[in-house]
Amino acid sequence: MNSRSHPTSLLLLVVALTITASPALGQQRDSLQALKRLTLDQLMNVEVTSVSRRAERLAQTASAIQVITQEDIRQSGATSLPEALRLAANLQVAQINSREWAISARGFNSTSANKLLVLIDGRTVYTPLFSGVFWDVQDLLLSDVDRIEVISGPGATLWGANAVNGVINVITKEAKDTRGLTLVGGGGTELQWFGTARYGGTLGSRANYRIYGKGFARDRTLLPNGQAAADDWRMGQGGFRIDWDASTSNRLTLQGDLYDGRSNQLSPGDIAITGKNLIAKWGHTVSAHSDVRAQMYYDRTHRDIPGTFGEDLDIYDVDLQHRALLARHDVVWGVGYRLINDRVANSPGLAFLPPHVARQWFTAFVQDELALVAERLHVTLGTKIEHNDYTGFEIQPSGRLNWTLSPSGTLWAAISRAVRTPSRIDREFFVPAQPPYFLAGGPNFHSEEELAYEAGYRHQNGPWLLSLATFYSHYHGLRSIEQTNPPNPTPLVIANGQDGESYGAELAATYRVSDRWRLRGGYTELRIHVWPNPGSTDTSRGATESHTPDRQLFLHSSLDMPAHLRLDGMFRYLSRVANQQLPAYAELNARFTWQPVAALDLSIVGQNLLHNRHAEFGTPTARRQIQRGVYGMAQWHF
Amino acid sequence: MALMSSLLLVQGESPRTSEYQLKAVFLFNFVQFVDWPPSATQDSQPPPPLLIGILGDDPFGAFLDETVRGERLGARPIQVRRYRRIADIEECNILFISRSENERVAEILAAVKNRPVLTVSDGDGFASQGGIIQFFTDKNRIRIRINLDAAEAAKLTISSKLLRVAEVVRTPRR
Repeated sequence: MNSRSHPTSLLLLVVALTITASPALGQQRDSLQALKRLTLDQLMNVEVTSVSRRAERLAQTASAIQVITQEDIRQSGATSLPEALRLAANLQVAQINSREWAISARGFNSTSANKLLVLIDGRTVYTPLFSGVFWDVQDLLLSDVDRIEVISGPGATLWGANAVNGVINVITKEAKDTRGLTLVGGGGTELQWFGTARYGGTLGSRANYRIYGKGFARDRTLLPNGQAAADDWRMGQGGFRIDWDASTSNRLTLQGDLYDGRSNQLSPGDIAITGKNLIAKWGHTVSAHSDVRAQMYYDRTHRDIPGTFGEDLDIYDVDLQHRALLARHDVVWGVGYRLINDRVANSPGLAFLPPHVARQWFTAFVQDELALVAERLHVTLGTKIEHNDYTGFEIQPSGRLNWTLSPSGTLWAAISRAVRTPSRIDREFFVPAQPPYFLAGGPNFHSEEELAYEAGYRHQNGPWLLSLATFYSHYHGLRSIEQTNPPNPTPLVIANGQDGESYGAELAATYRVSDRWRLRGGYTELRIHVWPNPGSTDTSRGATESHTPDRQLFLHSSLDMPAHLRLDGMFRYLSRVANQQLPAYAELNARFTWQPVAALDLSIVGQNLLHNRHAEFGTPTARRQIQRGVYGMAQWHF
Repeated sequence: MALMSSLLLVQGESPRTSEYQLKAVFLFNFVQFVDWPPSATQDSQPPPPLLIGILGDDPFGAFLDETVRGERLGARPIQVRRYRRIADIEECNILFISRSENERVAEILAAVKNRPVLTVSDGDGFASQGGIIQFFTDKNRIRIRINLDAAEAAKLTISSKLLRVAEVVRTPRR
């Protein structure tokens, strides 16, 4: 394994390319003369792009993007990342029990939803075990989040593997924006207690840092018969971030987290979840038209579910990216390498075989945004090429068109191919752990393929912000469970025996009624059809792969009242999940805040207020009832 | 892939405005919206240039030179100078202090104290440290913060047109 020499050679390649790609400055003259003619007021309105910030470009990208801001999160009273994700109307978010969540975009939601790429400050957090996310360990200080970008639809070309149906990109604030001491504490009925402390300061004149610690305990949910589900849990976490402006053209970031949690379960023994991660990033501005970014991280997770399963997973990841503005072209390309070392402790009931694997991924991507008509019509072409140990090379191209109709309206359209490459559960999952098997892995499982067609419109006019995205996707080779010797019911194997399609529309709107009153809402219609291909014995028609309501509605009202009071209400409605016989439900969260002095915030938050208890996910016997919750919170900032 | 990138070197107009191109245009605007006190040399012939100095690592590249090329304030041509050391600063009218000098801002400001020099920087906290104009970025847009006490101490008069679009602060009192 040559993971040591690999980054060095990549770096040399990047440097070589950067030197050859220095653009001609003469082309700037026309736009410069135009800038010089602007009045001061107009200059104040010119948007700048610092070359290194891909995120800023994203809002203009031809894709279905919604952004959850720090303001949105704070006003919602969300206490965890999944709760905050309810604020994106283009996501399907369902709480399974006290600790687990099913979160997806464009359907195919399940306990192990596997078509979403989730990044926290550039660190990929979906697990190679099943390509889904253990949401219980994706925690951070929500007050440190700058924004969450939620892209529904394929984002694989630029973002990488697994971005079949969407990307969630959590971006935290820079350390310079979190100075001083902040203490938060509170408690209530479901979120029983929580406390956080964060301190941010400077290291010399060029570096800033912050450190934080937090802890919480959450109450159990209820079984369908009303008895306790024994899923109460608690967790402690700490971390840091250092940003160093080493010079005007070099910038370094080092950050890391450490966590430890325990959860009750119905069977004997506590579930243990621990982990740590460390990320180093380097950003280098070559010129006003070119920059390079490099990132490296290490992520370790440990999960022990006594009687069922245990896992120790180490992930090593290196990424390099170069962006160059070349005349009418905006080119981004990059390479990446990822190594996982996964050791599973199997139980008699189920097994991953072999228990210990090391797998690697090589990726490269290139994307060019070409201004066909400057500021008006942009076309973006790109592709991702990936090599993985299961299926070899995979190619994921996309073409996007962005047409600015007027200063307020933008039309966009896109065609993309994306694949969901195999994870351990697709190939190496056996029930029970010894033969004769009931389920004998998926020896021939290959990638699930998607071809997506999207079109959308974005409109911003005065107090209105409106965004509509429509889509049609065709899926080939969706995961199925097949009988190996029909009509014998077992053994079963995992295969790609199903095809499917999805279509729908996502509407999101923000309306500022006045300086003090803001409304935000979203409405999504979504249809998923899955069918068996000829020769398949899977008759589930997607019942194991997608548990998604046909429509959902979300409304957030945020009212700033006199006397330092503020009132927020968040209403949501989700239609029934047919294949789980889960009834439709509507719920309301509310938050009331009083800020007696600038440094102190007192708030009381009610969650799921409309019912004593409700269920969001699961078949009638498996589902958990989520209870109404109330908590109080005090926040001091020094 | 290297081949691909070089193929993409096509002529045309860059669609975006880079941060320092815009800041260069702001500096050019400051020339027109700030009045310097009369100096002994200003009526000499030929008229002395109006100097914009950059102290420390130059973040502008060619942008600032391109922006002021051929421009005049009255009869005075506008010229750009680059300085490495505080001692090198001549009689410049505008001094842009690069972020590379963040650690010695106090020292630099002391060196030009009570001289009619418009100090400008995009370093954090520049205006509150006694610098006259600080650039900062808000929602991808360039904003300016002006320390009026510092401007008055340097005997500079800043046009109300510039003050209107700026955030005005005063030097914190002890």
